[in-house]
Amino acid sequence: MTRKRTLTILTHAVLILLVAVLAFPVFYAIVTSTLSFREAYQYPPRLVPGTQFLENVREAWVRASFGRLFFNSVFISLVVSVVKIILSLLAAFAYTHFRFRGRGLLFGMSMITQMLPLPVRILPTYELMADFRWINTYWALTVPFFASTTGILLFRQFFLTVPRELSDAARVDGATPMRYFWQILVPISRTNIAALFVIEFVFMWSQYLWPLIVTTTKEMRVVQIGLKMLIASEQIAPEWNVIMAGTVIAMLPPLVVLLALRKSFAQGIAMQSEK
Amino acid sequence: MQRPSRAFALALVSLGLGFSLALAQKVEITWWHAMSGSRLKVVEAIVDEFNATHPNIQLNALYTGKYAETLTKYVAAFRTGNAPNLVQVYEVGTQTMLDSGAIIPVYEIPGMLGETWDWAQYVIPITNYYSTNGKLWSMPFNSSTAMLYYNKDLFKKAGLDPEKPPTTWKEVEEYGKKLVESGVVDHALSFGWPGWIFEQMFAYHNQLFADHENGRNGRAEKVLFNGPFGQMVLETWARLAKEKVFLYGGPEYSANTAFVSGQIAMLIQSTSSLAGIEKGASFEVGTTFLPRFEGYPRGNSVIGGGSLWVTKGQSKEELAAVWAFLKFLAKKEIAVKWHKGTGYFPTINAAVQELLNEGWFSKDQNYLTAFLQILSGRRDTPAATGVRLGPFVQIREIERAAIEKAVSGVLSPKAALDEAAQKANQLLKQYNELH
Amino acid sequence: MQDERFPGHPLLPYLLILPSVAVIVVFLIVPFAQSVWGSFFVTSPFGTKTIYVGLRNYLELFQSSDYLKSVIVTVYFSAFVVVIGLGASLAIALLLNQKIQGVGFYQIALIWTYALSPAVAGTIWALLFAPATGLVPYLVGRIIPGYTLNWMTNGSLALLVVSAAATWKMLGYNIVFFLAGLQNIPEELLDAARVDGAGPWLTFRHITFPLLSPTTTFLLFMNMLYAFFQVFGLIDIMTQGGPGDATNLLVYNLYRDAFIHLQSGRADAQSVIIFVIIAVAATFQLRAATKKAAYAR
Repeated sequence: MTRKRTLTILTHAVLILLVAVLAFPVFYAIVTSTLSFREAYQYPPRLVPGTQFLENVREAWVRASFGRLFFNSVFISLVVSVVKIILSLLAAFAYTHFRFRGRGLLFGMSMITQMLPLPVRILPTYELMADFRWINTYWALTVPFFASTTGILLFRQFFLTVPRELSDAARVDGATPMRYFWQILVPISRTNIAALFVIEFVFMWSQYLWPLIVTTTKEMRVVQIGLKMLIASEQIAPEWNVIMAGTVIAMLPPLVVLLALRKSFAQGIAMQSEK
Repeated sequence: MQRPSRAFALALVSLGLGFSLALAQKVEITWWHAMSGSRLKVVEAIVDEFNATHPNIQLNALYTGKYAETLTKYVAAFRTGNAPNLVQVYEVGTQTMLDSGAIIPVYEIPGMLGETWDWAQYVIPITNYYSTNGKLWSMPFNSSTAMLYYNKDLFKKAGLDPEKPPTTWKEVEEYGKKLVESGVVDHALSFGWPGWIFEQMFAYHNQLFADHENGRNGRAEKVLFNGPFGQMVLETWARLAKEKVFLYGGPEYSANTAFVSGQIAMLIQSTSSLAGIEKGASFEVGTTFLPRFEGYPRGNSVIGGGSLWVTKGQSKEELAAVWAFLKFLAKKEIAVKWHKGTGYFPTINAAVQELLNEGWFSKDQNYLTAFLQILSGRRDTPAATGVRLGPFVQIREIERAAIEKAVSGVLSPKAALDEAAQKANQLLKQYNELH
Repeated sequence: MQDERFPGHPLLPYLLILPSVAVIVVFLIVPFAQSVWGSFFVTSPFGTKTIYVGLRNYLELFQSSDYLKSVIVTVYFSAFVVVIGLGASLAIALLLNQKIQGVGFYQIALIWTYALSPAVAGTIWALLFAPATGLVPYLVGRIIPGYTLNWMTNGSLALLVVSAAATWKMLGYNIVFFLAGLQNIPEELLDAARVDGAGPWLTFRHITFPLLSPTTTFLLFMNMLYAFFQVFGLIDIMTQGGPGDATNLLVYNLYRDAFIHLQSGRADAQSVIIFVIIAVAATFQLRAATKKAAYAR
């Protein structure tokens, strides 16, 4: 009994240590975001928060138009997540509820998305944006992301477990396929939808390379690029206090999404790995 | 079905736009630049003033990212036929622009518009850099060079005279050792932009960096930096690194941190860092000319920064508007404003005179240092004017890699330079094949 | 397999997949084909001249010591992210998968790094390791007097730091999936093993680990994709590939050739090379996944 108890205490100790170690870099970032420029360059480095947080945020806001960048990032992350979810639901519905010519081939094509990440087609895609006159538009920041292998796979797997009786009953009741889809299939998929939303939101929020090349004006940049602009903007010693204020802002939205949807997220992932 | 209606709407909109423009009789021109941060504010102020004083012109200045991004975007825009009227390009992009077939050389513009222009009003070492056969191809805009910054407080602490900075590399070594041995700092010296500083050493001692007269008399086919002079420079730096005098400081501005925080006592860096360094330093900042190697001829330090290029194929009205802006930049007050706001050189002789008259330089001598440096150097040889290379961006990276290898002791200076020269020559060959 | 559940709607399924397929064709497949095509040419920056060069772009890449170095750096970096990252997350997930108090808190306190972007992770680690002024160099200087830790001048240190930063950021993601995988292992199997007298190590080796292998394979692939592509922002913020190309991952090298050096043919060839690597890895993952599925059935 005592041995088990010691083991439990030990487990707790290790876990707490892990939590602390994992969180330390972010803790330090937050502390730095509250310091003045001189305090941030204090030697030895300081671990006690200061009082300059709001000033630093304001500075980041002005210097890199962070407000606008923040809006852009939220906007494109929401749009892409929602559209991706809808398109994946529709496609998964087609692949699981219908037989049609070329289904295997088309499904295989959807799966290939994963093998064609941006870097393997970067120049032609960029030139396509230039031809479409999409440089510095929300079109370029959203439309090329609309196809999702993860989404189609996730929903396909889930739809396959939906008992046939459900669709049969709906059909007998005279429901059209689309009515069945919107009124039955989509509502029972909400856990998966929430999980996918977390995944896609975080994915989109983190985009860096594509926004870097298809946007150039400060009105169209995103938060991630804003960080880089904060670091490089003055060409002198980096103003870590301001940079970290920007970093703290850039961390928040995906964290909020993850925390708010963590239950569904965990369940959705668990369902996904069940097979 | 959507297409025709959308096209129709577009046509309507553009018709409307065209109408209102025609009514206002405004010529709209666009300028893409790479000035961010505090410089952006100065650019915006100048553009606003231009628009206010030129009611028939609407100049739209757009920050389009860093130099490399701006050039990439310009290339893409030119290929799809919607390039801006004016673009700012960094000095390493000069040969690419000359070969682009996309631009009108600025020296031709007054003639095209039936005007004359006094080119002698510009500061010669600056215009020289952007000239080919004595003719100016792009308008100098933001020009800087490199100089030596030093920490006067640390000099005092180490028992050195803060008013007597080193003038030669020998003295740099001597003072550096003293600074390190006295325990004031762990390392004495660092640089920003190592490849550029390496190039500076060639021009500063009137040594050719590449063949065809530094690429100024035909396209360069071979680099010469692995010759005896280059080896001597790099051997000196490697020795300083070994003696802990020199601390390699990364590619661009990262060494500034170490200098501002007092970790090193000397820094070779672009003059454009001056305002930032003075703002961040809690000690007295001194500046002086680049150190020399004794026994080599005198040349000049090279201009860095960017210049403005005019896109070809624009209407006469647009060209006139662009030219009006370039003339506006040459106004004394504007050039003074630009210098005070950014620390870049004023490019007009009259502006220099004005700054001297109003005592600007005596307020802060540091702003004068680099100016005296370029004005006191020679300006009549290709070697002192600076090298021009097609794939300059890559070659500068190659130089940097060689310097890193030599100062960290991975390769001997000679081996590092030979390897770099071979890569650079290969790139030159490929470039020349396409042009 | 899947049955026709709504007969009599021959067009509907095509309409349903049309948006996805259109996006894939226009923005993925066609541009990729253009990458392949473009890799056989060299073009001047302004497109004034294009020359067909056959396989020369590829040959030059394979003969370039810089490109080979980039391959080695990428292999090291990915191996670090995969091996250290997956190992650590599996260990943490095992610890978390116990019946202890406050497990909910621990779970969330250990997976949140998932929500950080690579650029944010890079910025924070750049602060921690800032040469001369950062916290870590300060601590190292205290422990080993006279030693200056400067990753901007020390290539192998820089590679280590970016690898560690990237791994740290990915821990949350890995833990989530490992936990899900662990929770799907039937309790009875583990109990049976315990009854048979198997210790924790044997249980792990013979039951937990094999049953986790679909999750592990999946994570292997995802971590590889992450290490190949998504870390671009982290590298761009922390090192821009330096010092001396020490952290010049393949994706960074590609970006530089495409958008800074303006060498489109060479960049396209690199795109194709990266595709081949990913395709091979994906095939392995797919084969492992289907083998496992068949076995489970």
